[in-house]
Amino acid sequence: MGMDIGILRRDGRTDPFFDGAAAGRLTVRHCAACDHWIAPGEASCPGCGDEDPRWRDASGEATLVTWTVTHGRPAADGTAPPPAVLALVELAEGPWLHTRLDGVDAAELREGLPLKAVFAHPEEGESYLLFRPA
Amino acid sequence: MTDGAAIAGLGMTELGKVYGRSPRRLAADAVRLAAADAGLALADLDGLLVSHGMGGSPGIELADALGLRDLRLLTQMNSFGATAGAMISYAAMSVASGAASTVACVFADAPLKPKQSAGSAYHRDAREWYGFGGMTAALGLRSVNAFYALAAQRHMARYGTTSEQLGAIAVSTRQWAARNPLAQMREPITIEDHQASRWVAEPLHLLDCCLVSNGAIAVIVTSADRARDLARPPVHVWGWGQGHPGHRKERGSGFGLTTGAATSGPVAMKMAGVTVDDIDVCELYDCYTYTVLVSLEDYGFCAKGEGGAFAASGALGPGGTLPTNTGGGQLSGYYMWGMTPLSEAVIQARGDGGERQAGKNDVILVSGNGGILDHHATLILSPHQKGA
Repeated sequence: MGMDIGILRRDGRTDPFFDGAAAGRLTVRHCAACDHWIAPGEASCPGCGDEDPRWRDASGEATLVTWTVTHGRPAADGTAPPPAVLALVELAEGPWLHTRLDGVDAAELREGLPLKAVFAHPEEGESYLLFRPA
Repeated sequence: MTDGAAIAGLGMTELGKVYGRSPRRLAADAVRLAAADAGLALADLDGLLVSHGMGGSPGIELADALGLRDLRLLTQMNSFGATAGAMISYAAMSVASGAASTVACVFADAPLKPKQSAGSAYHRDAREWYGFGGMTAALGLRSVNAFYALAAQRHMARYGTTSEQLGAIAVSTRQWAARNPLAQMREPITIEDHQASRWVAEPLHLLDCCLVSNGAIAVIVTSADRARDLARPPVHVWGWGQGHPGHRKERGSGFGLTTGAATSGPVAMKMAGVTVDDIDVCELYDCYTYTVLVSLEDYGFCAKGEGGAFAASGALGPGGTLPTNTGGGQLSGYYMWGMTPLSEAVIQARGDGGERQAGKNDVILVSGNGGILDHHATLILSPHQKGA
């Protein structure tokens, strides 16, 4: 999982997600009134408009919706950054997350592939979320 | 109500690697060109609708820059790539209602800088990232290419669409561009060239992705009555529609598989009194080859899931049954957001297409697409008076 993603900092709005990530838990939002799970980056509950639904741990189980392997633009000397497998995944609770897959063979990816949340803990900056085949 | 609205003027600046002019200056130049094309003076305009690209300019101060006075309609509009269609429909309604009589609609952008790659104009990089959204970007989800790749890959997994089928769209679009002196990329390409072009974000090769251009395009909308007395043949606006599916990123979402063409198409065609079988020419928003494929399906030119086979059949190219993106689109022509398909539709409706003129141009469908297949606009244009 040793990928160079730059340094990740908190933004004051999504800090509970990073508290969870540091402890190896996938913390997202859940609107109790609507019983609706919401991705951490969403601005509000689509059901009732609540702009601060409470933070709640999700199971970390997910399935693959779709994916792409991105290739950075080659530099003048022909070297290019390593390809990244990026994805949309569906949490067992319903929300979709844009994320990056780790430890996968792109040729074996398929819709519905079971995945689980894993966390990277860099020396500097916040922990971050990746998904691996379950 | 009058006898409807028509596009009476078209103004296009130099497009592509055009440096040294701000988006506002480019926009002003395009409005002047469009007015002159129609045989109008700037003082004849009583409406101005402004839209911009990545640079955030121009806004409504463009009216000042042009010295326009006593306007009865002036606003900035933005539904991303669907804005051109939205502007034309607003202008047409304003003309029909009597709120304004002669409305210029303009788009300008200048994202390209000298000695900078086209990709970097639409890409951001940083060493530090903030919050959950910053994490997503840090992990690599920060270019439009990646989001459209996710959409295209979902269609491929669901329906068996192939990269070669996307390539057929790149090839047919380039065949048209080769016939268009305004196009930036005119060298013929093959499916093999498409397959050999470097990956940008799988399943999208470089030749699946549009150009980036500097420049501006404007059109003048007025009543069909008035347009008949002006310098150029009127291009009648028969119908319009918008579609904003609002796909949420959660279980059950149609993201990537269906677009607002599915709703804006039927609305526009019903207003125009036509069906897909009546469409002679398509000018479809083509930020990517995939956008064309999914739009063709959602409009009903083929069944859902069969867009790949339809494109590979040769229907879209010169000599095909559905001439599509006859100026080379945004893939090979020029990237002026929704003004690219609109400008080529005006040229085709006037019969000014030269080597690339479609044989039959009675009913032309124009699409606009914005966001990641989030916003859609449709126009139906014709050289003929509606119902005549």
